[in-house]
Amino acid sequence: MTEPLKILVVEDEALILMQIEMMLEEAGHCVVGTAMTAREAIALVHETRPELVLIDLRLGDGSSGLDVAQAVRDLGGITAAFMTADAQALSEDMAGATAVIAKPFTGTVLEESLTYLEDCVRRPPPAEYVPPGMRVAPAWLASFAQMRANLTPRQGPRGG
Amino acid sequence: MEQPDAWHQTDRLDAEQGKGDPFAAAVRATRMPMIVTNPRLPDNPIVFANDAFLRMTGYGRDEVMGRNCRLLQGKETDRGAVALIREAVEANTDIAIDILNYRKDGMPFWNALYLSPVVNEAGEVLFFFASQLDVSDRVDAHLRVQQEKDRFEAEVAHRTRDLTEALATQTMLVHEVDHRVKNNLQMIAALLSMQTRAITDPAARTAMEAMLTRVEALGTVHRRLYQSNNVERFDVAEFARDLATDLVRGSGDRIRLHLDLEAVEIPVAKAPPVALMMNELITNALKHAFPNDRPGRLSVTVAPDAAYFTIKIADDGVGMPVQVMEQRSFGKRLIGTLCRQLSASIAWMNNDPGTIVSIRLPREMAGGLEAS
Repeated sequence: MTEPLKILVVEDEALILMQIEMMLEEAGHCVVGTAMTAREAIALVHETRPELVLIDLRLGDGSSGLDVAQAVRDLGGITAAFMTADAQALSEDMAGATAVIAKPFTGTVLEESLTYLEDCVRRPPPAEYVPPGMRVAPAWLASFAQMRANLTPRQGPRGG
Repeated sequence: MEQPDAWHQTDRLDAEQGKGDPFAAAVRATRMPMIVTNPRLPDNPIVFANDAFLRMTGYGRDEVMGRNCRLLQGKETDRGAVALIREAVEANTDIAIDILNYRKDGMPFWNALYLSPVVNEAGEVLFFFASQLDVSDRVDAHLRVQQEKDRFEAEVAHRTRDLTEALATQTMLVHEVDHRVKNNLQMIAALLSMQTRAITDPAARTAMEAMLTRVEALGTVHRRLYQSNNVERFDVAEFARDLATDLVRGSGDRIRLHLDLEAVEIPVAKAPPVALMMNELITNALKHAFPNDRPGRLSVTVAPDAAYFTIKIADDGVGMPVQVMEQRSFGKRLIGTLCRQLSASIAWMNNDPGTIVSIRLPREMAGGLEAS
């Protein structure tokens, strides 16, 4: 793999936070920070300038991951993805986030989702395969499809 | 041939001369209240009123003659209705309208007013002729019915609101519990996965991994629950797609997955055992059929069949050795017990090469259905 990805993990459930952190580090990424509330997360986004932010929807102190996504969107240039057991509660635009990974996810889905997101950050467009339980925001799907279309040289008519 | 000044007769309807005219006599005598107004005089005054009109309104003849009809209007008279009448007069057209009027003594009554212009041969409006009828009884009855209807509708709306709120509360509760279950399953998987990483003994590690996979399969069931609006049914085909994709991709990229899935909805209560059963069979195939990084193909079929459905898992691997088939492993005992719970029959067949496992099970809850 290339440069380790700078990732901020926003998750208020200790066990899940540990699991994600452990998996990210095993995959060779750099967890630049972890946050359990929206306020902590927004401060860390500004402080650490991550390349990818993984955001739980329901956070500690009753705060919402949507506020974190909004802050990330306002800052620009950072990829965000939700990880939540409440995926159906997200609107279509996912507050600007690229995707949502529905909990509970399997280890394989987490790894493959991360590969997808890494490609989004490092070498877009990502491969077309989306792991089970991961949903990509329609606007992003469309922009990836556009990128793929631009990458593929236009084919002439068959036989011509 | 009409006299050029024939209409002047009506001008003098209230005068003694009019009394000889049989039409005027009829208008005077009828019980239908009637008036005539003259739009050519300032403010379109009443120039004739019959006795029935005076009885209905309580006014004396001298009190209405020369006055505009608006003297009948009062506090509750609908301004819109008044405007409609004015428009009709200005446009010289007919109008029929119910309007709330007031008697001299202040008593309101509903007046069914019919107003028509009387036009001469030159098309000029000479008079307006108005007949009236006290329809208070009819309007009151109508209003009473309307009020009853309004009250009934308000009551229905109120009940509907209550029920909607109760349903919203219940939906929120289901949603909340669903959220917690999913989070807890994620936490259990996190615990197992982290603990597994710390284990060095290969046998213990394999066992832990198998446990993690089972918990993950249950997690996938819960992730798929309540995704549709139907909270009571579970689609086996969509679940099979997620589970098989996850397991096959997790085992490396040497196994090709073939899916042949037809939608089969089962009661939600059946979802966990069906999921665990499929998980055991697919992980078994992946574990035993393709040793030494042997590439191959795994196919998963879900097919409905009347009251039953079939799940078939076929591999083109090395075939299941007899020892594995007969082993009293935890996995095999789990499969056997799940079959009992689901009233399912299970068959292991030779796929030449490889193995086919076929399970046939009733779609609905086992109500009198015997295990075969």
